[in-house]
Order: sequence, then structure tokens, then C-alpha cells
Amino acid sequence: MDLTPNDEQIAFQTATADWCRDNMALEGARARPDGLWAELEAMGWMALTAPGMDLDHATEALVFAELGRFLAPIGLLSTAVANRWFPHVAEGKVALALTAREPEPLRVLDPAGSGAVLMGEPGGLRLFDLPDAFTDQRGALHKTPHTPTIDLSTLQSRHEWTSSLWTEDDPAPPLHLQLLSAAYAVGCADASRDMAADYAKLREQFDRPIGWFQALKHICSDMAVRAAAARSQLYYAACALGENAADAAFHVAAAKRLADQAALDNGRANIQVHGGIGMTDEAAAHLPLKRAHLLQFIAPAARETLLA
Amino acid sequence: MDIGFSPEETRFREECRDWLHASVPTEKRPLDAADAIGFDKAWQRRLFDAGWAGINWPSKYGGRGLSIVQQVIWLEEYAAAHAPWIGANFVGINHGGPTLILNASEEQKAYHLPRILKGEAIWCQGFSEPGAGSDLAGIKTRGRIEGEELVINGSKIWTSFAHVADWQELVLRTEEGSLRHKGLSWVICDMHAPGITVRPIRKMSGQTEFAEVFYDDVRIPLAKVVGGLGNGWKVAMSTLSFERGTGFIADQVKQSQEIEELIAAARANGMIKDDRIADSLAQLRAEVAAVRAMTYRNISEVLRTDQPGPEASVIRLFTSELGQRLERIAVLLMGEAIIDFAYGDDNPVGDYLRGFAATIAGGTAQIQRDIIGERLLGLPKSR
Repeated sequence: MDLTPNDEQIAFQTATADWCRDNMALEGARARPDGLWAELEAMGWMALTAPGMDLDHATEALVFAELGRFLAPIGLLSTAVANRWFPHVAEGKVALALTAREPEPLRVLDPAGSGAVLMGEPGGLRLFDLPDAFTDQRGALHKTPHTPTIDLSTLQSRHEWTSSLWTEDDPAPPLHLQLLSAAYAVGCADASRDMAADYAKLREQFDRPIGWFQALKHICSDMAVRAAAARSQLYYAACALGENAADAAFHVAAAKRLADQAALDNGRANIQVHGGIGMTDEAAAHLPLKRAHLLQFIAPAARETLLA
Repeated sequence: MDIGFSPEETRFREECRDWLHASVPTEKRPLDAADAIGFDKAWQRRLFDAGWAGINWPSKYGGRGLSIVQQVIWLEEYAAAHAPWIGANFVGINHGGPTLILNASEEQKAYHLPRILKGEAIWCQGFSEPGAGSDLAGIKTRGRIEGEELVINGSKIWTSFAHVADWQELVLRTEEGSLRHKGLSWVICDMHAPGITVRPIRKMSGQTEFAEVFYDDVRIPLAKVVGGLGNGWKVAMSTLSFERGTGFIADQVKQSQEIEELIAAARANGMIKDDRIADSLAQLRAEVAAVRAMTYRNISEVLRTDQPGPEASVIRLFTSELGQRLERIAVLLMGEAIIDFAYGDDNPVGDYLRGFAATIAGGTAQIQRDIIGERLLGLPKSR
């Protein structure tokens, strides 16, 4: 039993964080450069646990928590899952569809340049074709414009259902998606915590840094506690999934639940610590909050799984 | 990273399980400290005789000299077997003993450690004072040096098990006129020494577990000072790191049992159909899982770096508040039966009322938040 990263894992973690800091700053999440996807692909993050890579979920979770800290594209999650489980079916960027009910149109996240879209469901997975335009039954042509979401780094589009390219009844792929989205949320919670703590050391009121005041200090401490609990459970869940443990579904769901909550609560607290500037567009405090809201809808933890 | 255990550890787990299955007392532990003392001592002696006391303590003092992972395995199985709380032995086993192992002289260790493990000597903690609870550096109880003795005057409060204790980990001011954390000493105080008066305090749950202690010219040999005169602050900090760290593994393990029992109870009485209750239980089950993960992570960290860090405060804070959330929902699930609570009854109300201590004792939740903010996040010191 060892729930701390080993040297190799720490090296992966550090390299990811360094690259993100230099090439994908959180402050730039409002408008990512066009070539970003190609760079991410070149770094190999979307195929860490693909066949032949010989890396485990724990390493992957550590890396995705770092990527999540910088609000990396949502498409990384779905692409990584597709590359692991369906390497012969999926190629290039795979967007992510939120689970929806027919006949409502599918909500597809991070679609620009995607060749396919993946949707995880409890107990299974579907892969759809993703046309940029489609012709309906009456012969009318529909374009599918990409519109913003509340998360300024993520675009979405609405698509009619098409028949699945691939459907697989296997509980493991959706759990993988849930684990990676939990890792994103852990990173998001960390980002808010660090932003708040840094600001509390810098910003002065009443002739001292606001972090001196317990009212503010304790907000920051609670952010640290939430992030620590979520991160520990993420590590445990990653190991449980990697070992195919009988209770892996529960542990992954617990990780997602705590990570989502930490991301959301820390996102809100961060704005409070920043005061007036925190609710402006020019500051970055709202970026992790908005990402946290988006993550709530990606592979959410089902109450039934937590109580099973 | 892995959550598995080695074949040796798994064998050890089976060994623990088998022994506990055969040996856990069938009668319940009395709730009141004075009534429970005989029970606590007998149980501790049994644990010692069978080789289960001080699993990760050095073997030369009666421990087993095994790893901290094996200690955790033992505590997990201990809780799973519904074995009784160690009660009056808590201070000696969980922080007095570990503090001695780290700071005491060979003579002090050789005398006290085996007695703690055998349940022969009950320890209590003499840190808090009426004017210095969370502000430990504000203590006023003083020890005047006279020849080879300390002459002690002052008082302590919130001292759990003081009225049944033989020894006390006593922090006092041994340097006249010294301020704050300077000039303090950590002393092994004989609770049977002349001049000590213990006045028990009754809790809102009806039990008497803590007390006020008064010192009137109590004479303690200088040889009872641990870690050297004037080094009391440093020694006390190591005590607190045990209190906030590994000392609470047992509680954390217990919580995993409590949540399962609560879910079963809510299913049995149909309250699980209430969405809010079901959601709270789902949340608590996730949080309890996180506590185990945090504990494993902290232990792995200790094994790697050889010292408990400020993360112990994170676990302490999270666990104590989680325990209270569990106790609150347990009372909620009782419905109207809460009104029937009578002093001394062993039911969820007693746990709920006693549970208020969790965010006060050993440094309040607010103190833990200060520590986390200052040591983990690097925020400026408020005090």
C-alpha cells in the first residue's frame, strides 16, 4: 500500500505542470490558440493508457489533474478514453457528448475539428459520427455552429442523433471517463485554492495582507481541505480502477462527487477572497468556477452507485 | 501508487481477524470513565498478553516493532470486529507513549512504556488551563526548581481521565518570568503525589470523562522532565502531532462502520426514500471513503519522509467534522426517539452529545484551520 506518487509519476506530474504553465496558461482559457490541440497531441497526453503505452490509471490521473488545473480542453478526456478502449475505431480528436434523452439534440462539447463524438453511459459507451453539417429528412441542410458554454474555454454544438458507430457494453470505459473528469475537477479545485491563497498573501487591507485575518484564512484552509480530500480519493479510485477492484465503481463515483463539489465550492470561495475584482471579467477567478459548473455534467456520480 | 497489501500484510490481517473474532468481549464497555476503568485495564492487558499492544512500538519496550501499515491493518480489523474503544488507555497509547519514544531518556522509556502497554498505568494530558485552552503558550501553571525537585502550583482543565490516571503528561512553566513558548517543560507528573486535587466535570451527555486538576506545592523529581528543562514546547508539539495524526486512525476506521450502519438503518425504517436523506448518506459515504484514502496517503507520506507533516491537521479537521455530520444524521434517523434519551444510555444521542468534543479537543477546528492556512498555504501568521 502506497498512495504517494513514485519518482516516475512525480516526473510526469511536474513535466505536465511545467508545459501547461508555459503553453496553456489558465488566464488564456478565454481564447485558446488554434494550434493548441496539435501540441497537446504531440505531448502524448491523450494516449497515456492506450494499448502499448504501459502506463497506469494512477499516473494518468496525476497528469489529468495537472491538465485540469490549467483548464485544458474537454476533448482530451473523451479522446483519451476512446484511444484506450477503441484504438481502431477512433482517430484524431474525439469530442464529448453529454448524456441526453432522445429525441433531444445531443449537446457536444469541444467539437471544433473533431471527427467523432463519444458518450459515456452507465455500463457502456457510444461513439457517434460527427458531421459539421447534416441534411434532415425533408432535405434541408443544417449547419452546426459552435457556440460558447459557461466555461469560456469550451465550445459546444447541438447535433441530431445519428446511429452509433460503435456501442460497447462494458462498465470500464465510462468509469475511465469518470475518473479522468474527476481528475480535471481536482485540478480545478486546486487552481481556485492557489489563486485565493496567492491573492490573500498579496492584497492588503487595514495595513496587512488579508490572509492574516482568520475570516479569510479559514476560507482558504477549507479550500485546501476540500482539495486534499478529493485528491486522496482520486488516487485511491485510480488504483481501484487499475486493479479492477470489485468496488472500483463506488470509489470512482466517490472521487467524482468530492472533486465536483471541491471544484464548485472552491470556485465560489475564490471569488469571495478576491472581493470586487473577483467578479470582474478581467480577473481570472471566474474561469475555474465556470469550468467547475461544466464538469458537474460530465460523467456525474450517480447516487445509486454511491449507496450501492 | 497502489492500494494492495503484500502477502505478509494480508497474512497479518487474517491473524488479526482470527484473534479478534475469538477475543472481543461480549459485554459492553461502561460509558462513564470511573466505571470503565476496570474494563479498560483488563482489555488492554489482554491485548498485551496476546501481542496486540503497541504493534509499531519498539520491541525492547514490549511492543511488536512492526510497521505502521500493520498498525493500520490492526486498527481496521479492530473496528471491523466491533472491539471496544481503548478508553482510559487512550492518552498513554496514542500520544503519551509515542511522545516518550521520541523524546524520553532510556530510563524513562524502560519504566513507563511497558506499563502503558500492559494497561497498568493510566495516563492523562495536562495541557489546557482555564485561561489557556487553544492558546497553549499562555499557560501559567509553574514549577519552581528546588534542589532536585520541581514544586508545582497552578491548575489544569478538560483533563480526560484525570480522576482515574496514574501519570500525567504535564506542561508547565519552569522558568520564572518566561513568556509564551519559552521556559516551558514537559513533565511526567505522578497523579498520586500529595497536593494534587482532581475535581471531575460532568458533560452534557451525562458522563464524567474529564476533570479539573489543582496543584498545591506538588513535588516532582527533576528526573521526570522529558526532553530537558525548557524544551517543553518542542516536546508538546510532538505530542500534538501524534494526537492530530496517527492517534485518530481508530476513529477514522470507526466512521466507515458507522456510515454502513446508518445506510442500513435508513433502509430499514424507509427514510432512505427521502431524497435529502439519501443524498446526505451518499455524500457521507463518499467522504468516509476519502478519509481512508487521506489516511493511506498520509501514512505513505510518513513512511517516505519519516515525519508527520501539517497534512495531519487536514485529516484531523476533516475527520472531526465528518464525525459530527455522521452523528447528526444518526440522530435525525432516530426520529422522535431522540426525546427518550436518558443520561447514561448508550444510543446515538450520547455519541452526538459527546461528539461536540471532536472540534474542540486537541486544538479547536479553528486552530486547525490556522495551522492549515499558515503551514500548508503559507498565509501570514495571525498570532
